[in-house]
Amino acid sequence: MLKGRMKRMNQQRRTMTLNLSEQEMRVLEDLSTQKDVNKTTLIRQALRLYQLVSARLDRGEKLFFEDQKRKKAELMVL
Amino acid sequence: VRLPVELLDNATGEFVEAELFDEITVEHFLETKRTWRPLVLQARRKLLARGREDLVPNYAHWDWTTKEPLLQMLAMKFFGIECGGKLQGIVEIQMVGYECRVPTQRGRDLVYVDYLQVAPWNVRLLMDALGKPTQFRGVGSRLFEAIVRFSLDEGFKGRVGLHSLPSSEAFYTRECGMTAAGRDRAKQNLLWCEFTPEQAQTFLTGGAR
Repeated sequence: MLKGRMKRMNQQRRTMTLNLSEQEMRVLEDLSTQKDVNKTTLIRQALRLYQLVSARLDRGEKLFFEDQKRKKAELMVL
Repeated sequence: VRLPVELLDNATGEFVEAELFDEITVEHFLETKRTWRPLVLQARRKLLARGREDLVPNYAHWDWTTKEPLLQMLAMKFFGIECGGKLQGIVEIQMVGYECRVPTQRGRDLVYVDYLQVAPWNVRLLMDALGKPTQFRGVGSRLFEAIVRFSLDEGFKGRVGLHSLPSSEAFYTRECGMTAAGRDRAKQNLLWCEFTPEQAQTFLTGGAR
């Protein structure tokens, strides 16, 4: 029913040129392959995550990673 | 942008035009509090009075107004459906924070369905408790279809994941054709349901259900 029409909701997009180093581009390509998404989607995911993490840190929250043994380690975000 | 979708009007048996939209505001959250919540609580009281605590919906305590700060976040998105000037259903999805768990897709990004709620007057269980007929059918399905198409359009290839409430497990696994990938002890033991790209395509072409 919505086939072909949902894209209209996302039409108002702007385009930019992104300059990356060889290494940055390689990481982008590797992650795109690993995550099975295109490079645009990966960059947009990174932006979503960065905004979310920044907002929570700004509220005074902390970011932790937890390993298999349930040991928490705080991650410094600069 | 608002897109026309059809809902079945239970009173007439005819399809009526509704609107799917993504410009959710705090006003919509307030509308759920003003018009949905009293009915949900009223139905809950009736069910409890009849000793049917088991039928009380798991979402009876949901408060959408707490989600106002999320409206600014790129990682979250909301869709709603309106018909007859009233909000008929709303969903919140997340694009970061969850990964695929089905072995063939493990570690890949997906669209996670965090909250999906249909207006109480469209929920048979609640209206039965209140002795009233339901109004529209298809609100949840149209919202779910929008999520799958959003996943495709955003580059996630149709991958969708969610923790299903017990009352919705049959809908997601049998009617939609999602894979039940185990219960999540970190999330109230809810069932993790997931669409692979292939399953999403099957769902959109009407193969499931």
